[in-house]
Amino acid sequence: GTQIKDVVIKPDAPNTLLLDKHADYIAAYGSKKDDYEYTLSEYLRMSGIYWGLTVMDLMGQLHRMNREEIIDFIKSCQHDCGGFSASIGHDPHLLYTLSAVQILTLYDNVKAIDVDKVVDYVRGLQQEDGSFAGDKWGEIDTRFSFCAVATLALLGRLDAVDVDKAVEFVLSCMNFDGGFGCRPGSESHAGQIYCCTGFLSVTGQLHQVNADLLGWWLCERQLPSGGLNGRPEKLPDVCYSWWVLAALKIIGRIHWIDKAKLRTFILSCQDEETGGFADRPGDMVDPFHTLFGVAGLSLLGDEQIKPVNPVFCMPEDVLQRIGLQPDLLKTVEQTQLISQYLHLESVIYSV
Amino acid sequence: MHGRVKVKSTAQQEEEKRKEREKKLKVYLTVRDAIFKKRGNGELDDEALQLTQQLLSSNPDFATLWNYRREILLHLETIKEEEETQKLYEAELLFIESCLKMNPKSYGSWHHRGWVSSRLPRPDWTRELSLCDRCLSLDDRNFHCWDYRRLVVKASGVPVDQELQFTDRLIGSNFSNYSSWHYRSTLLPLLHPESGSEPASPCRKHTNTHTSPTASPQTHSHRVCEEQLLKEYELVQNAFFTDPNDQSAWFYYRWLLGRAEREELISCVYASREGERVAVAFSKPVNALAEGLMLVLDGQQQQVEWRSAHPRFRHSPVWLCELPPGSISDINNEHNLTVHWTEKHTHRDCALYTGRLESWCRDSATDQELFRSELSVEKTSVLQSELQSCTQLLELEPQNKWCVLTIILLMRALDPLGHEKETLAHFQTLKEVDPMRSSYYSDLCSKFMIENTILKMEYAEVRVFSLSDKNLSTLCHLDQLLLVTHINLSSNQLVTLPPQFSMLHCLEVLEADDNVIENLEGLYHLPKLEEVSLKNNQISKLSDLEPLASCPKLTRLDLRGNPVTKTANIQAELSQLLPSVTDLLL
Ligand SMILES: [Zn+2]
Repeated sequence: GTQIKDVVIKPDAPNTLLLDKHADYIAAYGSKKDDYEYTLSEYLRMSGIYWGLTVMDLMGQLHRMNREEIIDFIKSCQHDCGGFSASIGHDPHLLYTLSAVQILTLYDNVKAIDVDKVVDYVRGLQQEDGSFAGDKWGEIDTRFSFCAVATLALLGRLDAVDVDKAVEFVLSCMNFDGGFGCRPGSESHAGQIYCCTGFLSVTGQLHQVNADLLGWWLCERQLPSGGLNGRPEKLPDVCYSWWVLAALKIIGRIHWIDKAKLRTFILSCQDEETGGFADRPGDMVDPFHTLFGVAGLSLLGDEQIKPVNPVFCMPEDVLQRIGLQPDLLKTVEQTQLISQYLHLESVIYSV
Repeated sequence: MHGRVKVKSTAQQEEEKRKEREKKLKVYLTVRDAIFKKRGNGELDDEALQLTQQLLSSNPDFATLWNYRREILLHLETIKEEEETQKLYEAELLFIESCLKMNPKSYGSWHHRGWVSSRLPRPDWTRELSLCDRCLSLDDRNFHCWDYRRLVVKASGVPVDQELQFTDRLIGSNFSNYSSWHYRSTLLPLLHPESGSEPASPCRKHTNTHTSPTASPQTHSHRVCEEQLLKEYELVQNAFFTDPNDQSAWFYYRWLLGRAEREELISCVYASREGERVAVAFSKPVNALAEGLMLVLDGQQQQVEWRSAHPRFRHSPVWLCELPPGSISDINNEHNLTVHWTEKHTHRDCALYTGRLESWCRDSATDQELFRSELSVEKTSVLQSELQSCTQLLELEPQNKWCVLTIILLMRALDPLGHEKETLAHFQTLKEVDPMRSSYYSDLCSKFMIENTILKMEYAEVRVFSLSDKNLSTLCHLDQLLLVTHINLSSNQLVTLPPQFSMLHCLEVLEADDNVIENLEGLYHLPKLEEVSLKNNQISKLSDLEPLASCPKLTRLDLRGNPVTKTANIQAELSQLLPSVTDLLL
């Protein structure tokens, strides 16, 4: 028979949330600018900053980051076409345009940039069939559909594109299992499912999802270790745990997984020495998995962390400030069960 | 960022690594800056190709460098002969191949390969397809490669049946291959469409048709013809008998067993003289405000304002409106109503006879076999034999949750009411063997119990829905209960009466004692609701009861055994909030 691919959580793995260490890790990360690894990741710097700032804000530590320096950096990354690049010298792309707008929203300073030009840039990337190209070179992906509508929604300008056509394209990427892939015909993947359910939430079209079927596929991502994988027969990973969990939250079925076990898995991916989260227990940490680890714990109801919005992966208070409340499918609000599980957890960890 | 194991090292090792990284950094920065400088100067030459190649070999995610290469290639195309251009692009393909060998999962490399293929004066699609074969033989789940394969197939017109044979081969060598099963789900409806769909010759090539070869098997009700379906059952059975714990085949099987999308239609029109209200139910959620919904009364089009059952829903299966005062209130007059759904070219009539206070016209769940499998009735023998096979497998693998769940689904497709007891026992097994997903199983079981109760209610031709003491954890199909007047949900595990509950437009009496209800959001504008019993629930705040204030006829309310009854001054507060209630039990 098939051996289930999974990890084993060692008995000495971390089992409490090391918030201070994570904040120190992120605060120090940006100061290693001469580091080889840091320089190599320049091509995604804008998203890197978004990951770092968001996790700091979720931990109530945003003030430790250099606001002025970051806003200046963002401004210097806006191009004549209106789009943003990951870093200076790089080309603009929807991925980094969304990250830039998310960062400025965190800092309540969208006015620092030319918003109309951003809107023009996003609009210009929509194709005949409703899809979005990531940049002028024409790569099509439902990730970019999400980036486009999320960027516009944060700017309050969703009406700038043909939303009906955009929805039609995303729905044409729906699969036999209720999930979504990159393009029509592509296999379902938790990351794309997050993007597509997020997209349908922002555009008010969640009723088009087959939530029971998709929810089943998503909850089957949970492995005996408690961690979630992104596709059948893959290893669990902290970032996939976030994408699956956020998608389940969006379609109103987060109670279909075992929350206590997932929490145990996420906590075990912390590095007790350096702070930060890795993809799996014992691997190297990075800001990407640190954000998704902390955001995942927030969705699971950890009260030491600010509530996170599952669609934008930003603190709820930030979205409330700009009056943005994306739809979530509403089913059973299992507050009862959550409190039971928190109780259970305190029993486990006091041993 | 993925799969890098943390290794402990000594201080000396650390120092050596630091020095090495410093050296690498210097080289990297020198090359990067040289590239940026050349690009800034608009230089589009071979040297730039060399430099970008140096960095991309180890860092293919540096997207800007691929962009620069494309600019250079486009420029060189304009100054070279076709033969030279062909060579240039072939060299580019070789370079990309070496990048893919280092990193087979880089978005940038795959996208660039597709771009180069589209620029090649004489593309060699056979070579591209064999590259996909090789790549998939190393990792049969690489979705980048699968997507590139689909691009090649589309561009070069590989026949659909040839691709289906390719999945036969992959599945034959290893059943546990979700990507292949997925690919089959997109190919089968093209090759063997359900009768009634447009015909397609088995060897149709994609190049000379403009139909999308990848239409979604979910949204476009692209279903498979029955003959092929039977063959697929056999293939899947081979798979799960060989490896009963492999989820891929089971997911695929559940899709095969599924039913087609319901037709978009008006399933019910209800009219009431009292309040002169009309309620319309659709087969799926719609936004009536955008769908051109038109109401005709006795041949006259009416100006009405449609609203969904609850303000939370922009899309809803139930929509309501009020007719102008005096339109249908006189019980001595007969009226004919027609609701037109212009966008879908469909309509439904409803006659309101003299002496009748209300009237409706509808398709019932039993008429539509709503909750049954789509397989035609004469093939139930097939489902029966599927069920037998699964039952055999379960004897060998009594703990196999996939098998148990599939048995439940087959039983529902065959005879949901006849198998109810066994189904419940199987759900119990599922919760025991797979406790991590027990909430999923509870919700699914609740859904099936609700479906069964709807069927029973409709066979009995009553408007009473009774489902007490059945471990219900969630409510669904509430749009099917538009005509229900009495509902009993007592002794379940319900936490909320969700907004969808407001679709029970005819509801007069609600019993929901002994649950854990803390939220009454769905008790919203129910015009006929008179009695509500919510004994022994978890309603804790006065504000939780606010939705009830929108139900004008509410006279009896039983809240005994709820935390809210301990609120100071509760009696006075409630009489202010709910003045129509004369019979209050606290
Ligand atoms: Zn990851």
